Amino acid sequence: MYRISDQQIDYILSDIGARGVEMESLQQNLLDHVCCIIENNLEENGDFENFYKKTIQTFYKDELWEIEEETLLLLTYKNYYTMKKIMINSGIAAATFFIIGSFFKFMHWPGASMLIILGMAIGVLVYLPLLFLFKKNETTESRAKLVLAIGTINGILFCLNALFKVMHWPGANTMWFMTLGIFALVFIPLYFFNGIRDQANKINTITTTLILIILAGVFFLQTSLRPSFTVQKKTIQSDQHMEDSYHYATEQNKITYNSSVDSSNHKTSQEKLKLTCNALCEKIEKIKLNFIQQMEGDSSIREINYQDLENSGLSTNYDFPTRMLFTENGDAKDNLKNLKEDLINFNSYISSAYEQNSAKLINLSSQKDEMGIDGSWEKTKFYNNPLLCVLRNLTQLQLDIRFIESSCIKHHCN
Amino acid sequence: MIYSSELIKGTLKTIVLKLLADNKKMYGYEITQRVKELTLDKIQITEGALYPTLHALESDGLVTTETEFIGKRVRKYYSLSPSGKNKTKEKVSELADFMDTMKFLLDIKPKTA
Repeated sequence: MYRISDQQIDYILSDIGARGVEMESLQQNLLDHVCCIIENNLEENGDFENFYKKTIQTFYKDELWEIEEETLLLLTYKNYYTMKKIMINSGIAAATFFIIGSFFKFMHWPGASMLIILGMAIGVLVYLPLLFLFKKNETTESRAKLVLAIGTINGILFCLNALFKVMHWPGANTMWFMTLGIFALVFIPLYFFNGIRDQANKINTITTTLILIILAGVFFLQTSLRPSFTVQKKTIQSDQHMEDSYHYATEQNKITYNSSVDSSNHKTSQEKLKLTCNALCEKIEKIKLNFIQQMEGDSSIREINYQDLENSGLSTNYDFPTRMLFTENGDAKDNLKNLKEDLINFNSYISSAYEQNSAKLINLSSQKDEMGIDGSWEKTKFYNNPLLCVLRNLTQLQLDIRFIESSCIKHHCN
Repeated sequence: MIYSSELIKGTLKTIVLKLLADNKKMYGYEITQRVKELTLDKIQITEGALYPTLHALESDGLVTTETEFIGKRVRKYYSLSPSGKNKTKEKVSELADFMDTMKFLLDIKPKTA
């Protein structure tokens, strides 16, 4: 009987580790096993190294780590059916929630967002990862696994995009282009070149690739779909008209001031009204211009040209205004906050100084949104609104101020 | 004649459980040797099949382990847990039933002397 020394035990243990067996208990099992064989079968002064190498080779077909792989497989096999059930049920749940949610959204019924978010969350967090785990085990090729991994990431991104778009969360556009980019430039080529190598699946691969390319095309087309051109054009014209009305009202008020200045006994209070209104309108004008300057990246722009806005495609962008007005370090966030304070001060100034002003005060109260939930004034007017509507609402404010001003000047005249 | 690994694969759990039921506690090498002995070398359990099965049995709670130091190396003894004892009876009778069914299905006549 052969006696194994401590050094030889260390040697065997490190060799087992080097052959890819990482589980400690399995390493110990194999070590003891191989030692038993050596002790029982090797003569006292036999060639240890040679005998060990021959013995360990009888443990496996190709590599020693197959034993560990088989162990892990058996350990996970237990959960296999539960996991598969969870996967299928979560897939059904995600699809159901999403379809019902979409229908609710379409009908403008309350609860739509909740359903959609729930469906997407289940799909992204449970279904797709599990699907990946199962599919991954069906193949041994690392390239096929890579295709699967990228496909899964793409699927998750697609779901997130749909969610962002439906919920009008900021950042949807950037993410959408990224997703489409990965889909068209990484996933499809990888899928194609991986599948084409397999003669048996050649036709399948080509067909699927073509369908994927068509899908990518349809997705891309939908990205640039916009509301009807006529609607867009006419809306722009109305906006321009409102802007013109505001300038007209400004001019009219100026004329009224000039004509009444001599006859008025309230010179100081009239002067205060004029200064207050002008300052407020200019402030709003600055916010409007700031948007255009930031979005066009040109700080020299001094006037809003609605036609240019339409041509550059910025008019329907709602990410940017929302980001500027509402995110923590958005450029215009302070402006919006200041503006609301100024408008509140303006209202209290008008109501105390001009009790008989016939125009109403500026309405800053919260309003119900399409889902019947109360939204604050700034949220309703500016959050997730396309740039065009944000500008329009600001112009409307300027116009309101001029109306109030006009009614107050009349108060002086009387 | 040595039986094919395919045949062994489906019965290995039962074999191991039954051996543990008869021998209280055993370690891996001992199990392979005992099987070899009892079957006159007809069934040779490979290391690649035995250890994954032992680990699976352990994670199912059917066997418990205790370790013993043999010099510098560790020997892991396996023994049946209470639930393992029940499982053994279940498995053995299932296999016996299966063999009867196979005999009938494959129309195997009992060997006559």
